[in-house]
Amino acid sequence: MEEKFDVIIVGAGLAGSAAAYRLAQEGLEVVLIERGPYPGAKNLSGGVLYGRVLNDLIPEYWKDAPIERYITNQRVAFITEQAFFNIDFKNQVFSQTPYNAVSVLRGKFDRWLGEKAEEAGAMLVPGIRVDKVLIEDRRAVGVVAGDEDMRADVIIAADGANSFLAQQVGLRGRFETGHLAVGVKELIGLPRETIEERFNLTGDEGVAYGVVGFATRGVAGGGFLYTNKESISVGLVMHLDELIETGVKPAEVIEDFLAHPMVAPLIRGGKLLEYGAHLVPEGGLAMMPRLAMDGMLVTGDAAGLSVNNGFVVRGMDLAIASGVAAAEAVLEAKKKNDFSAQGLSAYQRLMDESFAMKDMRTYAGAPAFMKNDRLYEAYPEMLVSLMTQIYHHDGAPKQHLVPMVMKSIKESKLSLFDLAVDGLKGARSL
Amino acid sequence: MAKEMWVFAEKPALQAELLACAKTLGDAAAAVVLGNQAAVDQAFAQGADKVFWLGEKPDHLLLDDYVPTLAALLKEQKPAGMLVGATRRGKAIAGRLGAALGVTVLADVKKFIAEGDSLQVSHMVFGGAAVRLEKAVTDIMLATVSFGIVEALPPDPSRKGEVVKVAFVEPKWKAVLRERKPRPPSSVNLAAAKKVVCPGRGIAKKEDLEMIFELARLLEAEVGATRPLTEGLDWLPRERYIGVSGAFVKPDLYLGVGVSGQAQHTVGITESRVIVAINKDGEAPLFSQSDYGIVGDLYQIVPALINALKARK
Amino acid sequence: MNIIVCYKLVPDPEDVVAKPDGSISLDQAEWIISDYDLMAIEAAVQLVEANGGKVMALSVGPSQLANSKAKKDVLSRGPDELYLVVDDGLRDADTSLTARTLAAAVAKLGEFDLILTGEGSADLYFQQVGMQLGELLGLPTFNAISKVEWSGGKLAVERSLEDEVEALEVPAPAVLAVTTDINQPRLPSMKEILKAGKKPVVEWTLGDLAVQDGLAQRVEVLSVRSPKQVNRKQIRIEGKPEEAAQALIGHLSKEGVL
Ligand SMILES: Cc1cc2nc3c(=O)[nH]c(=O)nc-3n(C[C@H](O)[C@H](O)[C@H](O)COP(=O)(O)OP(=O)(O)OC[C@H]3O[C@@H](n4cnc5c(N)ncnc54)[C@H](O)[C@@H]3O)c2cc1C
Ligand SMILES: Cc1cc2nc3c(=O)[nH]c(=O)nc-3n(C[C@H](O)[C@H](O)[C@H](O)COP(=O)(O)OP(=O)(O)OC[C@H]3O[C@@H](n4cnc5c(N)ncnc54)[C@H](O)[C@@H]3O)c2cc1C
Ligand SMILES: Nc1ncnc2c1ncn2[C@@H]1O[C@H](COP(=O)(O)O)[C@@H](O)[C@H]1O
Repeated sequence: MEEKFDVIIVGAGLAGSAAAYRLAQEGLEVVLIERGPYPGAKNLSGGVLYGRVLNDLIPEYWKDAPIERYITNQRVAFITEQAFFNIDFKNQVFSQTPYNAVSVLRGKFDRWLGEKAEEAGAMLVPGIRVDKVLIEDRRAVGVVAGDEDMRADVIIAADGANSFLAQQVGLRGRFETGHLAVGVKELIGLPRETIEERFNLTGDEGVAYGVVGFATRGVAGGGFLYTNKESISVGLVMHLDELIETGVKPAEVIEDFLAHPMVAPLIRGGKLLEYGAHLVPEGGLAMMPRLAMDGMLVTGDAAGLSVNNGFVVRGMDLAIASGVAAAEAVLEAKKKNDFSAQGLSAYQRLMDESFAMKDMRTYAGAPAFMKNDRLYEAYPEMLVSLMTQIYHHDGAPKQHLVPMVMKSIKESKLSLFDLAVDGLKGARSL
Repeated sequence: MAKEMWVFAEKPALQAELLACAKTLGDAAAAVVLGNQAAVDQAFAQGADKVFWLGEKPDHLLLDDYVPTLAALLKEQKPAGMLVGATRRGKAIAGRLGAALGVTVLADVKKFIAEGDSLQVSHMVFGGAAVRLEKAVTDIMLATVSFGIVEALPPDPSRKGEVVKVAFVEPKWKAVLRERKPRPPSSVNLAAAKKVVCPGRGIAKKEDLEMIFELARLLEAEVGATRPLTEGLDWLPRERYIGVSGAFVKPDLYLGVGVSGQAQHTVGITESRVIVAINKDGEAPLFSQSDYGIVGDLYQIVPALINALKARK
Repeated sequence: MNIIVCYKLVPDPEDVVAKPDGSISLDQAEWIISDYDLMAIEAAVQLVEANGGKVMALSVGPSQLANSKAKKDVLSRGPDELYLVVDDGLRDADTSLTARTLAAAVAKLGEFDLILTGEGSADLYFQQVGMQLGELLGLPTFNAISKVEWSGGKLAVERSLEDEVEALEVPAPAVLAVTTDINQPRLPSMKEILKAGKKPVVEWTLGDLAVQDGLAQRVEVLSVRSPKQVNRKQIRIEGKPEEAAQALIGHLSKEGVL
C-alpha cells in the first residue's frame, strides 16, 4: 500500500509554512513541498510584515526570527515629476513589543519559518514543483510532480498569486488581468550607519514609505520604500491591465522611480543586490475563490488574500492568518475524520471571523478606488502645487489658504465634484 | 648547500617552461626524465643543469607506476621542490607523491613569488572569483604548474650536465592497461598564442566550428574554447579550453564568439591586450570586460568578418 | 559492492562577494554540495543499482556540514548512509589535512570495494584530495575516470587524458576521481527527499579519529582576494553585419593587432 500522509501543503511561502507549523505542532504527518531550493528562495515582498498574527502563532517570534527592523515611522509621499509631499507619522508605541510591523527579507524570513515547521516535525521537500492536484471522484486525494504522485487526506494550496492548483481544480477561474497587479522590487545595499543617518533612525528602528503619484507613470498603483538593516527595499505595485494597455514596462518605471528626487537621495551610493517581479492579487473580495472543496483548501495569495490601498501593501499577514485557519480546520476535520468540503468548513468560518476577512471587507472598495486616475496625477499635482504656493516665496504677498487651495485645484484640472466624490469614496474604502 | 628545483612533466613543451621557471626559483634546475637519450639531451637544451634519468618506459607501464620511484628519489635527494606539469596525469602523480612524502602540494600555481627565504604562490579559487596567496611549510614543496606561467628559454643544444641514473622501484599495486585509444593529437599551445579566437556555447552545431577555424586562419589566430565545448560536448580537445580550470592566455587579441563571459572563463583572458566580444545578447557579461563589442548573431557577423578579412588580403 | 563516495560542502561560488577593498566575503553564501561531486555520487549510486551493495557518503568539514538541509540534500541523491566528520578545525583545511582526515574516517567505515571522489572541489578545484587519500590508504589511485564498471571483483575503467583514453583494469579496492562528464546526475525525487530524512547519519569530530600526523597544516594561507580588474574600453560597434565587421577591422588595425 502506498504511503499516505495527513496533509500535503504545496508552497512553503508564509501561508504554507504557517499551516505546516501549526499542523506539525499537533502531531500530524505533514509534507510541505516547495519548488525553490529552500523556502523563500524565490519569494518576493516589499517586506513589511504586520506581525500580530505571527505573534499569536509563535509567541515572541521577533526574538528568534530574522527580522530586519521594526517600523516606527510610517510615511506617505505624494509625488509629481519634480516634487514630493510627505506625511510622516512616528509613534513610539510602534517600538514596543509585540511590534506592530517589522521589515523582513523573504529569503531569510521564509526560510526561518520553514525551518520552524521542520523543527515542529513537518517534512520539507524542497526543489520539487507540483504539477497538479490528483483528483479522484471529484475529490482532491494527492499531488503529482513529474512522474511521481503522493497522497494525503487534505491538500492545502499555498502556491502564491498565480496558483494554478486552485485554477486546475476549479476553485477559482483564471484571474482576470483586472484583478492582478505586478510588483517589482529592488533591494539596494547600503551600510547600516548610512541608513540610520539618512532616515534618522536609532538602533533597529525602521521606516516604511507608501508612495502615490508620478511613481507609476500614471499606471494605477503605488510605490514603497522600506528600510532593512543594511539594505533598502524599494519598488512599485502596478495594475496589470493598465500595464498591458499602456505598454509601460515595469523595469523602466522602476528606474524612473529610483531616479525621482524623493527616492534618489535616499538610495544614493547603494548597490543593487536583487531585482525581482511578482504578481500581486489585487481584486480584493471580488476575486476571492471558494476556499474549500472535498480534500482541499486554498490559502494566502493563492486565495487572493491581499490588500493594497495605495499606502500599504499587505498579504504576508493575511497569508499567515489563512494558513493557521486552514490548519485549524484540518485539525477539526481530522477529529471527525471527515475531509469533505463540509468537514473542512471551519476554514471559511474561521476566516470570516478573523481580521483577515474583516480587512478584506473593509478594503473591498479599495481596488476600484485605486483605479481612479486622479489619484496618480491630479491629487499629487494639487498637493504639490498647494505646498509650492505656501512655501515658495516669490515676493508676492501670501494668500490665505482657501484661495490657494482653490487655485491648486484649478491648476490640477480637478473639479470640485471629483473631489467630493473621491473624498467620500476614499473615506469609505480606505 | 645549493637549492635545487626539480621539474617533472610528461609533455616536453611544458617541461621547457617549467625548467625556465625552476631556474628562477632555485640555484639549479634539474629535470626528472623518462625517455631515451634524446629526451635527456632535450632537457639539457631546455635549461636543465642536471638530469635524473628514469630510462625508457616499457610499454606495459603507466607513468603513474613511477610514483614509488619518484618518491624514493625525492626522499633521498631532498630538493627544495619539484614542479610537476599540470596535466591530468601530472596532478595525480603530484598528489600521490605529496601524500607518500608527507609534504605540501600546491595545485595549479599561477604565480611564484620569492619572499626572502620562503616561496609564496598564488592560484585561483572560487571558480576564478578570488586569488589565494599561500606558502608551503614543509621542507620539500611540490607544485603542479600548467602552461603559460613562464616563457621557455631558447633551446641551447650545446648545453650538457650531470646525468644521474635512477633505479625503478616496483610499485605495490598495478593496473592492467587494456587499451590505449589516442585522441586526435592537438598540439595547441594557447598560452603562447598571439591571437585567440574563442567560440562558446553560442555555436549551435559542431560543423559550424569550421567557420571559426576559417576566421582563425585569416586572423592567424589559435582557436580556444569555453569549457562546455570541450567537456560535455566534446567538440574540441580539452587543451583548448580557457579559464580557471583550463588555459590562461595572454594574447594581443582575444575574440570571443558566442561566449557569455562567466568568471570561470574570463579569469583566463584578463591579460589579453585587446578583448573583442560578439554576442547576440547585449547584456552578456563579456561585453563589460571587452574593448570592442558587436551585439548581433554570430552567424551573420562571423561570415561578414571572414569576407571583410578576405577582401583585405 | 560497497562504495564510499567523498563529497565536499562548499560556499556556493555564485554567492562569493568581492568587497570594494578587494577582500572576499562568504557571509552571504549558501553552502552546497560541490557541483562536481554530484557526478561522483551519481556514479556510486548507479554502480550499486547495477551490482547491489550500498553507498556510504563521506564528508569532512566545518559546522555547516551538520546542517540538516545539507544532510538531507546529499542523502536525497541516493546514498544509503552518511558519515560526517564535523569540526571547525577543518574550516580552512589544506588538501593534506582533508585527505588525512578522510583516511582516518575511512578506517572506521569497514569493508568497501571502491572510493569515488569528484574531479575537484568547486571552491578550491585543486584536484588533489582524492589522489592524496588513495596514496595514504595504499590503494590503486587514478583520476580522470570517465567510465567505471564492476565485474568479478575488478574495476574496468576508462581514463580520459589529454591525448588518449586509457582502458584500465584496476584491482579493488581502489580510489577513483571521476570526470565531470561521466554522467548527468539525476534530480532528487519527492520520495527520495522524504526517505532522506530517515537514513542513518553518523557524525564524528576530529577527536574521534586518529588522524595521521595530527592536525598540522602543510600550507599556510596568506590572503584571499579578488583578482585585479582591468578597465576595458567597452566600445559598442553598431550597424549591419558588414558595417560592423568593417568597423571592427578598422579598430583592430588601429590597435595594431591584425
Ligand atoms: C513587490 C511586492 C511587494 C509586497 N509588499 C508587501 C508588504 O510589504 N507586506 C505584505 O504583507 N505583503 C506584501 N506583498 C504581498 C505578499 O508578498 C504576499 O501576499 C505573500 O507573499 C503571500 O504569501 P503566500 O505564502 O500566499 O505566497 P508566496 O509567498 O507567493 O509563496 C508561494 C510559495 O509556493 C511555492 N510554489 C508555487 N507554486 C508551486 C508549485 N507548483 N509547487 C511547489 N511550490 C510552489 C513558491 O515557490 C512560493 O514559495 C508584496 C508583494 C509584492 C509582489
Ligand atoms: C568550478 C568551475 C570551473 C569552471 N571552469 C571553467 C573554465 O575553466 N573555462 C570555462 O570556459 N568554463 C568553466 N566553467 C564553466 C563556466 O561557468 C561557464 O558555464 C562557461 O564558461 C560558459 O561557456 P559559454 O560562454 O560558452 O556558454 P554560455 O554561458 O551558455 O553562453 C553562450 C553565449 O552565446 C550567446 N549566443 C547564443 N547564440 C548566439 C548567436 N547565434 N550569436 C551570438 N551569440 C550567441 C548567448 O547569448 C550566450 O551569452 C567552470 C564552471 C565551474 C563551476
Ligand atoms: N572536505 C572534504 N570532504 C570529503 N571529500 C572531499 C573534501 N574535500 C575534497 N573532497 C573530495 O576530493 C575531491 C577533490 O577535491 P580538491 O582536491 O579540493 O579539488 C572532491 O571532488 C571531493 O570528492
